[in-house]
Order: sequence, then C-alpha cells, then structure tokens
Amino acid sequence: MSQFAIPQGRFHLSAALDDAIRRSCAAPARDGEQAHPIFAFVAALGGLGVRVGDLCRGLGLAFDKGAVLGRCWIDYAAPLTVDTGYDVAAEIVALERKASRRFGAADHLTLGMTIGTGGQTHARVQLTTIMPVVA
Amino acid sequence: MSEWTLDGVPAEAMALWCAALGDDNAIHLDPAAAEALGFGPRTVNPGPTNLAYLLNMAMEAAPGRQVRSVEAALLGNVLAGDTVVARGTWTDGLCDAELVVVPDRAVLKARIDMTDGRERDDGKGFCHQRP
Repeated sequence: MSQFAIPQGRFHLSAALDDAIRRSCAAPARDGEQAHPIFAFVAALGGLGVRVGDLCRGLGLAFDKGAVLGRCWIDYAAPLTVDTGYDVAAEIVALERKASRRFGAADHLTLGMTIGTGGQTHARVQLTTIMPVVA
Repeated sequence: MSEWTLDGVPAEAMALWCAALGDDNAIHLDPAAAEALGFGPRTVNPGPTNLAYLLNMAMEAAPGRQVRSVEAALLGNVLAGDTVVARGTWTDGLCDAELVVVPDRAVLKARIDMTDGRERDDGKGFCHQRP
C-alpha cells in the first residue's frame, strides 16, 4: 500500500474542544490539563493529512455506502493535554476484502497512526473501517 | 461491576464529533441517508463516541488512574435517541467493558487497561506492540 502514502497532518487540541466533546458525551469535567482519553482517537483521524472519507474514496472504496468503524486499538505513552498541537503520522496497514453477513462482502481498511509533539510520541492508534463492496 | 448510563444519545452532538474527526459520512448527520443505507430512520452515532462512553465509565470507576491502552470491537450501531449502558468488570486494573443499547443489545466490547506501573512496557513507554 506504499503507493498511497498519507501526508503528515496536525491536530490542535484546544481546551474548548475538550470541553465541548466532554459535554457532548456526558463525560466528567476536565481536572487539570489532561484531555479526555478519546482524544487519541479523535486526533488520529482529525489530524490525518487527508480526510478519512477522501482517503477511502481515493482508494476506490465505498465510503459513502455506509462505512462503519470495526475495530480499534489505542496505546498511550502519555496523556494528551489541552492547548497542545499534535503531529499525526499515518500509514495504511492493511486493506482486505472479507465476507460480510450484512453486505455479502466488505472491504476492511486498517490505518495506523502515531500522535506526538516535540518529537515525543503520546499515542499509537490502529483503526479498521469497514465498507461494503459495491459492484 | 461498574456501570454508566446515558439516557437518549443526542443527535445534535454528532455534528461536533464529525467536525473534530474530519468525518463527512452522511449516516451521522442525515437521517434520510442513514435510512437509505439500511441503518434505520435515525442518525448513527460515530463509533469513537460510543467508545468515549466506555471510557467515561472506566474513568468514573477508577478515578486518578491513567488509561494505558484500549482494544475495542464494534459489533453494532447506536442510533440517535437510544439509551445506552456501559458496564465494566474489573480485574487488577483491567476492565472488560461492553456498551449495550437498552434493553440488551451489545454494540461494543473493549478491554481497557488502567493498571498501575509500567511492568508491561516495551521500553518505549508503551505497554503493547502491535504487529
């Protein structure tokens, strides 16, 4: 998949965004500088060098036919903090076609992202998006 | 066992999540698009939002502890207006968690590691190495 190199991106994690995300999912209010841990995932996708839908469409995948998240892994080396800018490096880990009870067949796209700042990695994320195969 | 409940997943929050995620998938924003694609007549909650509910449960159950890793499988969808319950069973800082749409449809299962210490570190600050 190396021909589909994903440009490095950046994600600014503002205190206002952390507050808004927390309110939207009924999370406890922030105590100190640490953002909600879901921000490893949010930064991974939101800071991708290309929008995830455009990446999938560029790969010829049916993102607009009902893409859903299938699996994810997040490993944290350090908490993400508010009012911090993070660099997001991403690569395509796998693109597999599998049988699907819902769709008959589905494409599984797995992306791997590293989120860091100032040369320090804060989190690694892998996520798999599942899309139907459309003839 | 720890438990966390959200009565009525808010449709209006999905736009915020989509903007933050850079996700323009219409099933999260347009009920007609969700219905046309077979998800039902309401918008579909973004998967990371569902995962955030599980993390809320874990953070409330283990205040002061850091989340070290999360491994999650998304099994089904949460729609706007659904009531969801996040449940966790704990073993030494490891939480086996699931999100259920009331009354009893499991839509997300996860293992959340909030153990103390770094005994399973890989030497680079991470407790797991992915293949």
